[in-house]
Amino acid sequence: MTKNKEKIPPVVKLNYFKGDLIIKSGDYGISIYEVISGKVGIFVESGGAETRVAILDPGMILGEMAFLSGNTGTRSASARALEDCCLEVWHPAMLLNDYKQMPDLLRRIAGQALKLITRMNKMVVELSLKQEEELVDGQTHGGYDPQEENRKFYRKSVSLECVFRPVNSPKDLKLPGRIRDISKGGLGMTVKTSGLINYTPDFGDELFISIYLMPDQKMNMTAKILWLKKDKTESTISLGTVFTHMEPDDRKRLGFFLMA
Amino acid sequence: MTVDSKVIGYMVSEERFPDKAVIIKEGSIGDWVYVILEGRVKIKKQTSRGLLTVDTLSEGNFIGEMAMLKQSNSKRSASAVADGPVVLGVLDSVRLLQEWEAQPVRIKKLISNLIQNLEKTTKKAADMIVASK
Repeated sequence: MTKNKEKIPPVVKLNYFKGDLIIKSGDYGISIYEVISGKVGIFVESGGAETRVAILDPGMILGEMAFLSGNTGTRSASARALEDCCLEVWHPAMLLNDYKQMPDLLRRIAGQALKLITRMNKMVVELSLKQEEELVDGQTHGGYDPQEENRKFYRKSVSLECVFRPVNSPKDLKLPGRIRDISKGGLGMTVKTSGLINYTPDFGDELFISIYLMPDQKMNMTAKILWLKKDKTESTISLGTVFTHMEPDDRKRLGFFLMA
Repeated sequence: MTVDSKVIGYMVSEERFPDKAVIIKEGSIGDWVYVILEGRVKIKKQTSRGLLTVDTLSEGNFIGEMAMLKQSNSKRSASAVADGPVVLGVLDSVRLLQEWEAQPVRIKKLISNLIQNLEKTTKKAADMIVASK
């Protein structure tokens, strides 16, 4: 380790335009970046599609885990400018001296945080895989293959109004429901039996569902009922469904919604 | 992991907790940092289905350090509950904080960013455990 400060590369600021690739997954890289202005998206590639897993705001750091774990391998995710942005680039050599001179206890605390986050990340991935397997087991109808999707998804608890109707019913029929949870593979909803005009949901029924994930984003999909459960008073029914069709754009929007 | 003299040097006192005692409560304000001397401590998150264990720490592990290092918000991000009888070393938080504050700004940013990510990932893991049940 040199103590000659001239040999340590200076801090540089780089500007990127909206859409620019900052880090490419799979490339070698050891620099650490701080977001000075603008927003940066972190993308993980899976099956040829990019899924955004995080958004970094000004003040946030990119590449700190690789630095702290001494990993000099390839980048595990891509970073792209979501708007025009400015990043400060730190060479690890600059930080290494400081890190080595840190009081031992602080360094150990940082080391523990690194271990815990690695453990948590592993847990998150395992849980995603488990939920995906359950979905695959429960699936009986083609048209949608969760295996092709990004593996890092999970079921998000929500409370969103929706309208639905059985696929073979008249187009102007709108039955009210409330989405309770949603994942890339399917959704769970509750419906009031009083709101069901001449329709009794049954296993295997296919439904058209429209929901608003965001106030201005209407999404349409078809989903098949995998299970249903009436409450004691029979005034509401819970439905578990698996998606059978969704437009690619809607699927992308759903992915972002789940990662947010 | 063992507790060596470097850590012992920061200890100002020792505290004992019986099984299931709440050492740190999620959402409360506090800056005590502990090291586990004996026993195990469960890290729990509040979820829609009650308290959920997301990790278990043992001898030599620190607890309570996140609130100190994440800088922006000193609220406790998770609860710590004794899993059997536990002996904790209470660390000199004034000294720790002074040493932390004296670190170069980039090192501080780097580590507090890591801590914030740990907090987010822990929350995500807790949400996913709830969803899988």
